[in-house]
Amino acid sequence: MALDKPLRELGLKSERLLWPTKGPSKFEDEVNDLEQKVGLTTLAKAVAWAQTNSMWPDTFGLACCAIEMMSIVAGRYDIARFGMEPFRGSPRQADLLIVSGRVSHKMAAPLRQIYDQMLEPKWVIAMGACASSGGMFNNYAIVQSVDKIVPVDIYVPGCPPRPEQLIEGIVRLHEAVRAGVPPAYEVRSVAS
Amino acid sequence: MTATAPTRSRGPVYEGSRIPYPIPTVLKTPADIEATGDVMMVNFGPNHPSTHGVLRLIVDLYGEDVTGLAAVIGYLHTGFEKNMEHKTWWKAIPYAPRMDYVSYQNNEYVFVGAVEKLLDLEIPPKAVWMRTLLLELNRIHSHLVWIGTSALELGAISMFWYAFREREQILDLFELVAGYRMHTRYFQVGGLAEDIPRGFYPEARKFCDWMPNAIDDYETLLTRNKIWLERTEGIGLLSIDDAIALGQSGPVLRGSGVDWDVRKAEPYLAYHQVDFRVPSFPEGDVYARYRVHMAEMRESVRIVEQCLDRLEHMEGEPWIADDRKVVLPPREELHTSMESLIHHFKIVTEGFRVPEGEVYFAIESPRGELGCYVCSDGGPKPWRVKFRAPSFVALQATATCMTDALIADMIAIVGSLDTVMGEVDR
Amino acid sequence: MSEFDALPGLVDQLERHRETTLVVELVSLVDAALHLRDEAGFNFLSDLTAIDYLGWGEKEVSGYIGTAAGRDLNMPMTQGYQVVPLPKPKRFALNYHLLSVSDRPRRIRLQTWADEGEPVPTVIRVWPTADWHEREQFDLMGIVFDGHPNLQRILLDDDWDGHPLRKDYPLGGEPVRFSGEA
Repeated sequence: MALDKPLRELGLKSERLLWPTKGPSKFEDEVNDLEQKVGLTTLAKAVAWAQTNSMWPDTFGLACCAIEMMSIVAGRYDIARFGMEPFRGSPRQADLLIVSGRVSHKMAAPLRQIYDQMLEPKWVIAMGACASSGGMFNNYAIVQSVDKIVPVDIYVPGCPPRPEQLIEGIVRLHEAVRAGVPPAYEVRSVAS
Repeated sequence: MTATAPTRSRGPVYEGSRIPYPIPTVLKTPADIEATGDVMMVNFGPNHPSTHGVLRLIVDLYGEDVTGLAAVIGYLHTGFEKNMEHKTWWKAIPYAPRMDYVSYQNNEYVFVGAVEKLLDLEIPPKAVWMRTLLLELNRIHSHLVWIGTSALELGAISMFWYAFREREQILDLFELVAGYRMHTRYFQVGGLAEDIPRGFYPEARKFCDWMPNAIDDYETLLTRNKIWLERTEGIGLLSIDDAIALGQSGPVLRGSGVDWDVRKAEPYLAYHQVDFRVPSFPEGDVYARYRVHMAEMRESVRIVEQCLDRLEHMEGEPWIADDRKVVLPPREELHTSMESLIHHFKIVTEGFRVPEGEVYFAIESPRGELGCYVCSDGGPKPWRVKFRAPSFVALQATATCMTDALIADMIAIVGSLDTVMGEVDR
Repeated sequence: MSEFDALPGLVDQLERHRETTLVVELVSLVDAALHLRDEAGFNFLSDLTAIDYLGWGEKEVSGYIGTAAGRDLNMPMTQGYQVVPLPKPKRFALNYHLLSVSDRPRRIRLQTWADEGEPVPTVIRVWPTADWHEREQFDLMGIVFDGHPNLQRILLDDDWDGHPLRKDYPLGGEPVRFSGEA
């Protein structure tokens, strides 16, 4: 259903529309600070720009979050505009692992295998409540957060997160990479 | 075993039974092929772009022929049933839609309907019709996801984008009604969680007017497409007797020629007051199941239109039952009535109690017969909840359908069984 | 319904919530299944559910608090208080939900009882769809099915210890700071 009027006229009152002169958010300020402090060289910045503009994800859709992940590939929430629409079947060709869905103990070993097969630099997004913390399934079968198995860069909450939420997580990952934040495996290991 | 089922068949799809012996779900390579030493065992692993979720198939290949097949499941086992035993009846409802995460409202309804059957609760007509409408919208949603992903796996990549375009429209409708795109938690024991918002009926009408054109588009792309026909016609044959013996239901059974639909045989909600056909095709192959899915989408749109016709006259009617032992009283009453306050308190803290007993409630989900067995001990928490997942049963038929299949056919067959691993593994 | 009087091993026939339950003895389970499939036309096994009744009626639960019409003060010897659920004959109940896919669709539940460790005869030769259902109940409940050709764990890891859906198996998971209940 195409909208023929801007959202503002339909009554949507969001901060960004009502406050067109709003400056960067606190997160953006922090990222800017980090960029100044870490002091990236032009070459490193160029490499980071290239990495973020074509960060290819691996197909690791597990459960309900996978359906919302599929809808960011679809036409409305298009991640091809971020250069990410080729979901590689082989982890050896992928940069980003979006763990979308609940990880059971049986699936933990294949998840670690897939992560190990990816080449550096690689990033992990834990999509959804189940990947971030075990979600509503605090029981014998589900690993309570995927960061016990792989080091995670960005956690996207939601059950399942809206496509816009996931894209926000991806965009923040891009901003962090461009600011020089190292991938998670360099900074931390898995949780205990 | 004779088939006493209503059929439209023009003779059996194949003679005899192809169910493997001794294990019905494992295809074993015949000894003579095994002896050639040329059989390669390939792991079609849990992480694969073409399996619908985390399914692992251990396949024996002789060249390109699939001679042996065993399915390994359990990679998404979540312990739903155990978790639901530890939550009150109300708090257990959000667990249900996360099983079959593509047709989530069907799951919600089957659990809520089973509890209502135990409680012997009467649902107001507005809720009955709205539930029917949502279940049919969910059926269209599920079939759209199915056709998008199945066609994508077989190489018709553009179908994915077309199907998901309509899927976004349906999700907009769900968001308008229930506030969220997926796992809406809109079904409540006694009716609906909230009233139907204004503006829903015109939007739903717009969708119903547009959808048949979209289905025409899909059929133009695929139905008489030479490549699609070559890849799906005659593949994955399943006869009526084998299908019933293997417990198949839904599009798989209707694609084998059996006119069986729980909505017609044992009507629930408003299905006996709605006019719709149950499509079935006798060929028993992947193409027949595809035709069933397409035709079912059209029928679902008709059902949604009929529900809208009735609902538009039900403005201002109650959307949830009045039984204060089970349903929260309206908020305004809490200021004036002591009993309402006490009921609210009891329902929210302890949870309502369901009388002792056991019940099996089955509906027609987009994948087949979805059943919920509920056993209550009279308390606020379920004693045992078991979901009969149609995909769990459908996967058992892979070995039978895979006789004389090439590895490329295997993708088509597994796709046509329309499995969602969340409900297979529960 | 008197049509089920000829069922081998029939112990009881219950009618509750518009459903018929036929309780049979464990030893005549396969004969009863064959009778229902061939004579009564129940050619479709919908579901196989095992329930663990350990701790039935013991803690905190004391029955239904009332109906829409109010508590039944006229039920003798109860003073209108809740009814405690009756004890069950054995620990495990096995429910086979059968369906007749035909012009006369009917549903029925075949129920049998088993003790801890008592093997249950398999119905895989009657309805092949029971294959995975029985494996699942073996995996989650620990019920051994006699004669099943492939009785292995299906949903959990092959080397998993214990049977999670039993009542003496803990829910597991991590302790969480805020929840009052599980």
